[in-house]
Amino acid sequence: MSLSVRFYLGLLPAFIRASIQEAVAYRANFWISLLHASLNFATGVLGLVVLFGQVEQIRGWDLPAALALLGIFLTLGSLRGLVFGPSLDSLAGLEGDVWSGRLDYTLLRPVWTQYLVSVRRWQPLALLDLIPGIALIAVAFWQLRLELSAADAFAFLVALGAALLILYALLLAATALIFWAPGVLFTWIFDSIFQMARYPLGLYPGWVRLLLTWVVPVGLITTVPAEALTGRLDGRLLLATVALALLLTLAASILFRRALARYESVGQ
Amino acid sequence: MSALLPASTRGALSLVRHTWTSWLQYRGFFFLLAFGWMVPPLIYLFVWTTAAGGETIGGFSRSTFVTYYLALIVANQITYSQTNWTVGDVIRSGGLNELLLRPIAPLYDTVAGEIAGKVVYLIFVIPVTALLALLLRPALPATGDLLLFLPALLLAWLLRFFWGYWLALLAFWATRADALLSLQDALVFLLAGQVAPVALLPGALQSAATWLPFRYMVGFPVEILTGRLDAAAIRTGFALQAGWLAVALALSALLWRRGLRRYAAVGG
Repeated sequence: MSLSVRFYLGLLPAFIRASIQEAVAYRANFWISLLHASLNFATGVLGLVVLFGQVEQIRGWDLPAALALLGIFLTLGSLRGLVFGPSLDSLAGLEGDVWSGRLDYTLLRPVWTQYLVSVRRWQPLALLDLIPGIALIAVAFWQLRLELSAADAFAFLVALGAALLILYALLLAATALIFWAPGVLFTWIFDSIFQMARYPLGLYPGWVRLLLTWVVPVGLITTVPAEALTGRLDGRLLLATVALALLLTLAASILFRRALARYESVGQ
Repeated sequence: MSALLPASTRGALSLVRHTWTSWLQYRGFFFLLAFGWMVPPLIYLFVWTTAAGGETIGGFSRSTFVTYYLALIVANQITYSQTNWTVGDVIRSGGLNELLLRPIAPLYDTVAGEIAGKVVYLIFVIPVTALLALLLRPALPATGDLLLFLPALLLAWLLRFFWGYWLALLAFWATRADALLSLQDALVFLLAGQVAPVALLPGALQSAATWLPFRYMVGFPVEILTGRLDAAAIRTGFALQAGWLAVALALSALLWRRGLRRYAAVGG
């Protein structure tokens, strides 16, 4: 067992090296990605500044707390764009591995397929979103002048980990659906809905809150870590989120395995 | 000249028909794009109505926000010119060669794509917006406002189209000019009334929004429809809209002529 863990971890540097070599071949992309990261950051912050310029507080959320949540959104988006986003994306669409039949080469390799499709492609430029993300969390935290107890810090890290796992599970499930309808870009639909996680769940009307909690739980992804950071997270909600993350990952893995069984290796 | 016009008009119409039928095959894909464009205004609809609650913010009540943002979803869809992206692609790839060989100006091809796209997107957006209107109960606009809304919307589309067109034509000089279109999208997001109605923007942003062209691409007709502007403001608005449209037309014509002269026709 420990041997296989070491084997799988040992694959990562190889994937990362290959991806970096690919990225440096297109050097101008750095500036374009920098522009996109800056725009993403600036529009996000200004949007909140405009909103909270009109109202001081909405359902317990004020500007610093909402900025912290935006920081968490950017951080999670960056980590997703770093590895499992680009990896899973290469399966989707009319150019993707499922449609073209290129998935054959992935299936033939003597490794666990779900692992390979989840971590084989890295996009180092996605880290450009991580810097403003972490900076926002830090600034908001300093503005709130909270005393971060060890327990809160721990709860925050656990919540962030669970959020990342939920994000991964949702993307894996969206990718699995490709095997039933290869032409539909399920991850695009997910991306649009994921944008809703920029704002705290409390800022949405009741029925949208229910949808974003129970149907596509993207609302939890940012709201739960932000609540942990601002020290008002209910311990039971944290436990429920962790349980949900594990459950979703399991369900998505089963769905993905079923999807693979449907793969007929037909391509051009 | 007058003898040429009917022929080119007929050609343009058959281009619209042709492009439309070929695009209908991909309607699932285009519905997805339309869904993606709908989500940001929808987020702000939810957030602002929650923020307003039972009160008003800067004269906007809950139902005014609903009217404003539902109209904005439609206006944004009608004015968004996704062909601006393809114009640059055609220049970069050399696909322009083929278009130049046709007996009508390549602008017709772009306009044909634009109109065909609009029809497909609206087939999706109008029913969804109507459904949302039933759910969210907007305040109904006055007939007089509706009559002024339509010309303002048409001008907004022309302005947004030609403004993006001259930006896209910069591809004749710089291959990565489409980065400017991302910047344009960010400015539209901030200043055209999407993140908040222009009247709710803080001081400096609000005066920038009033004088720059972006508000006249989306927000201005919507403000007319929701009855937010008095007669003087509407007059100034139309004047600025027409003025910026003239600038955009002049720049498009100039850059097209200059650009074509240095076009190297690589690829194809």
